Amino acid sequence: MAVAEQPSTTGNVAKIEKKIQGESLWSDSWRRLRRNRLALMGGIIIIGAVLIAIFASLIAPFPYDKQTLSDANSAPMWVINLFPTMKAQGEPGGYVKVSDLYFLGADNLGRDLFSRIIYGSRISLAVAFIGPLFSIVVGMIVGLIAGYTGGKTDNLLMRAVDLMYAFPTTLFVILLLAIFRGGASEAPQGSFIYTMSLIDRQMGGLLFVFIGIGLTSWMGMARLVRGQVLSVREKEYIEAAKSLGARNRSVVVRHIMPNILGPIIIAETLTIPTYISYEAFLSFIGLGVNPPTPSWGSMISEGAQRITSYPNQALFPAMALFLVMFAFNFLGDGLRDALDPRMRGSD
Amino acid sequence: MAKFIFRRILWMILVLFLVSVITFGMMHAVPGGPFSREKPLPAATVALLNAKYHLDEPLFVQYLYYVGDIVVPRITLERTPPSQSENYLIDIDLPDIFGEEAHFKWVNFGPTYTSRSRTVNDIFRENLPNSVQLGIAALCVSLAIGMPLGVFTALKRNTRWDYAGMSVAIIGVSVPVIISAPLMQYLFGVQWKILPVTGWGTPAHVILPAFALGFVNSALIARLTRASLLQVLNEDFIRTARAKGLAERRVISLHALKNSLIPVVTILGPLAAALLTGTFVVETVFSVPGMGRYFITSIRARDYPVIMGTVLLYAAVLIIANLVVDLIYAWIDPRIRYD
Amino acid sequence: MMLAVVGGGIMAQDGGGTVVSAISMVSGDLLTIDPAQAEASSQIEVINQIFIGLTNQDVVTAETGLGIATGFTAEPQDDGTVVYTFTLQEGIPWVRYNADSGAVEQLTDADGNPMVVTAQDVVYGMLRSLNPETASPYSYVLVPYIVGAAEFNAGTGAADAVGVVAVDDLTVQITAPDAASFAPAIYGLWMSRPQPQAIIEEFGDVWTEPENIATNGPFALKEWAHDESITMIRNPFWPGSDSIPQAQLEEVTLRFLDTPQQFAEYQAGTLDAIQVPADQLAFVQADPTLSAEYVTGGNPCTYYVGFDNTEGPSANAHFRRALSMSIDRQAIIDNILQGGQEAAGFFTYPGLNAAPQQEDFPDAAIHYDTAAAQAEFALALEELGAASAADLGQLSYVFNDTATHTAIAQAIQQMWSETLGLEVILEARESTGYFAGLSEDAPTIYRAGWCQDYSDANNFLYDVFFSASSQNDTGFVNADYDALVAEARVEGDTAVRVDLYSQAEQILVNEQAAIAPIYFYNLQLLVKPNVERAPSVTGNEAYYLWSRSS
Repeated sequence: MAVAEQPSTTGNVAKIEKKIQGESLWSDSWRRLRRNRLALMGGIIIIGAVLIAIFASLIAPFPYDKQTLSDANSAPMWVINLFPTMKAQGEPGGYVKVSDLYFLGADNLGRDLFSRIIYGSRISLAVAFIGPLFSIVVGMIVGLIAGYTGGKTDNLLMRAVDLMYAFPTTLFVILLLAIFRGGASEAPQGSFIYTMSLIDRQMGGLLFVFIGIGLTSWMGMARLVRGQVLSVREKEYIEAAKSLGARNRSVVVRHIMPNILGPIIIAETLTIPTYISYEAFLSFIGLGVNPPTPSWGSMISEGAQRITSYPNQALFPAMALFLVMFAFNFLGDGLRDALDPRMRGSD
Repeated sequence: MAKFIFRRILWMILVLFLVSVITFGMMHAVPGGPFSREKPLPAATVALLNAKYHLDEPLFVQYLYYVGDIVVPRITLERTPPSQSENYLIDIDLPDIFGEEAHFKWVNFGPTYTSRSRTVNDIFRENLPNSVQLGIAALCVSLAIGMPLGVFTALKRNTRWDYAGMSVAIIGVSVPVIISAPLMQYLFGVQWKILPVTGWGTPAHVILPAFALGFVNSALIARLTRASLLQVLNEDFIRTARAKGLAERRVISLHALKNSLIPVVTILGPLAAALLTGTFVVETVFSVPGMGRYFITSIRARDYPVIMGTVLLYAAVLIIANLVVDLIYAWIDPRIRYD
Repeated sequence: MMLAVVGGGIMAQDGGGTVVSAISMVSGDLLTIDPAQAEASSQIEVINQIFIGLTNQDVVTAETGLGIATGFTAEPQDDGTVVYTFTLQEGIPWVRYNADSGAVEQLTDADGNPMVVTAQDVVYGMLRSLNPETASPYSYVLVPYIVGAAEFNAGTGAADAVGVVAVDDLTVQITAPDAASFAPAIYGLWMSRPQPQAIIEEFGDVWTEPENIATNGPFALKEWAHDESITMIRNPFWPGSDSIPQAQLEEVTLRFLDTPQQFAEYQAGTLDAIQVPADQLAFVQADPTLSAEYVTGGNPCTYYVGFDNTEGPSANAHFRRALSMSIDRQAIIDNILQGGQEAAGFFTYPGLNAAPQQEDFPDAAIHYDTAAAQAEFALALEELGAASAADLGQLSYVFNDTATHTAIAQAIQQMWSETLGLEVILEARESTGYFAGLSEDAPTIYRAGWCQDYSDANNFLYDVFFSASSQNDTGFVNADYDALVAEARVEGDTAVRVDLYSQAEQILVNEQAAIAPIYFYNLQLLVKPNVERAPSVTGNEAYYLWSRSS
């Protein structure tokens, strides 16, 4: 159970004034970001990965579900030579079928590993974007309401957040998945559970992975947003807008939200890796996407079973995952440094 | 301060109550019961087992049974044969004036349906200590690697050392335990045969799982330490200290470090709760007889009392850990006051 | 009541002669080692070493031999019942390991007399398993073979009316309601074994802990480290019997590990005998050292695809036949399972008593045949009024989510797609909910399996697919089939039974194709060269037949 990184709410309070300067700040940040080569590289990798996911069917040499059972667990020579534990058939003790048909080798059903990694990027990236999206939407709504309204509502909402925290989230997710997935057969047609599991099935079992990840991730965001709102709320420009007769909603949307976006983007970019690895964890406990849909998480957790005899089946998708997580990490760090220059300690 | 702690304990009881109600409702909504098998048991047998464990009662009655067994203390005057339903965490032999077999009994978390002889209390007694030991070891590994790495990279910020250090940290978070644990097991246990492959009981058994667990979190701690140290180094009081001519080393160790601990301590709460109550993947790969496996397997087996027991344990540990964290805040930063 | 211990126990010799094994074990704790409560193979494996019943299945020959009985007679009565009279071997003691003295000791009762296994213990054991309060998961297997057991087990009859009595200390008389020839095998299964009444009454649920238990088999329970392992020690008081000699090993430790961990420990040299994880089979069979230590053994289970015979397209026999005939079983075995399993053209595991063999009845068995499958599918579409496979609606293949099931499901999915043009969705369900769902309302197409309770074809063909069976999830009902398996059940001549069962199989898997059998399981094991394993064909290990050199 990995613990999601909790952005500190005590720290970066009262550093927001600068951002009123608007555009000049953003262009300033952009300039700083461009200078950070690692962050830039991260950004390029992510854009590349997104393009691969979108054009997977053009890039991949094979369909992701095309099995050739007789090629199961085969690998080309260069892969076999790469890993010291693998031995090609023909050598003494050799057991790996040699086949040059598949660039990175084939999995236990004789499917092209390379194509599956390419298609798998769709799910892993979807998780990387939908997780934060859910977390931002729910967390922002809760945090904004709590922070802006204050008083009893604030107290109540924050206590609800505390309560959610006290749940072992994994348990919550597993229960939820078991209720919906297992309940499908017994639920009458047209009922809520039935409809949900129908959608889930059509999405290859993705819906509940998303919901599960979303449910576990918004609480930190809600706390962060609330903290930010509290610090911005009393600022002069908000007072000014209010005294000019702006309605609550427009104050929140026009004035508060843009001013707290920076820290939120930073926090989310930095937690994206935890979403991606959470998908792998769900696959490990048997609650990932439905086969034959590939995802990096399910490929890794399946491949981990044969990590000594066919290390390529786990390590290549793990490398893809690693590369993307690496990219998000450096981009996140870069964004933080760019948007919040004082964090660098360079002025 | 005392009032603050008291209020938090009241809050904890409320949270535990709500958590228990929600979990109870959810776990009974999951299809299948504790006696669903690949080879189905005859309906009559299932009915008997259900009756034995009160599973044939309405839900709220079951809930009352459950809470009653935990909360209500009882005194028994006659010897009761040891059974799954008679296992109490607190079981005191009363003085003979009450009768020879008089016992005071309190706190019974109920039987486990995956054993015909053990109880949730047995699991707490036998498995929880293992998870706590592993959790503490892993926490030590994370702090021992994470904090120095964080300080080092912060001091060498924007140099080659910084990038190298942070890359190591990111590798730590990016390689899933699902991969790193079996790899470590293979290298150290099977290939080089220097550490035990699986099992528990000797200090050597702790090393691999503690490192597998600790690495992931050390990266987290390193990044947090780096970020908050950088921030603190810009605060006015550090500048003052520097201006006063204090040696850089003293500035860092005396002033900056202590103040940069706050965000790190913040994550220690949830981290400790997660580690101390066990972790599924590592316990599975290294066959550690800990608590973490029960979080997953109890749901699979519909082992209701174990589900409840693990959830309540986690919630309680989390709240207590957060309370401790708050107290540590007050120690680190005297400006923080609780009333 | 206190139980004293007779002095003069024999000290365990430490050092050689111990074996650490993980065959049949899985991670987690054992549910129980109480003969009345056991249900899974890991639990039964332990019980087989420490509790011995009237009869005993020889693991090497799969024949039913004698356990603690020295012989028995079967006398058919005029009313159709059969009276079995078992004579017990004299002086088999109840024993317990004493951790303080480090020795196995013989137990005594309150008066100081040594406790030995008596006819009363056997009667108590059976009645305790049948007692509704015990809620024994396997009482239903024993129920049909003792008169009055059904009523007692259902809570409507008295224990006195159950046809099992102790005539004297060494004679047990059991009245069976009919002439099923395999009844003596049932009387030796774990739930029928003698149980120590005094101990169970004193210690309640925890009587199976090492410090409380009393056992009578060739091994005694030494230590039970919950969630980790169980250790058994040689019982020097076991006199040896027909099929169960005195144990040669001093100690056996069974570690609760999943196969990947078993394999790692075996490679590290800390386990002597393991089950090979499926993913390592190719590696093991190619490795010069490991391949010499690799053995396969029988494992009486059948993997099959079940169909809902009552509704949906799967209610159509042509549809089911088409699906069954388009599964290339050998390709699944060769490329996915890789353990040398046997492709199943029948449902009944071939090693069982009275089981028909595929090679003897090739026309009765179902075979992979794409042309025939396509012809059947065309017929099915016609009868179902569908123009193409797409008109059949969205069909799912449902299975529980283990790695092997997932791989096989994907392979079958592609075979149906390629041969029939039928696209099914794969639906992985979490196991417990899946099993619960099966017995309530079986999905249209689903994965299932069946393992033997006792070694007779009746356990497969009658116990599962007789129309009234509670295990019959498919809803398959066929009067001819019912008549055949009912007749075979009470037939005395094995050759006649084999023939009857082949006809029943022909209806079940071929003509009606109520299910599609896929393969017969086997065990893939690694055993260290200095350990001599008894070559079991029954899926159970008999550690009392094992030995170890050096």
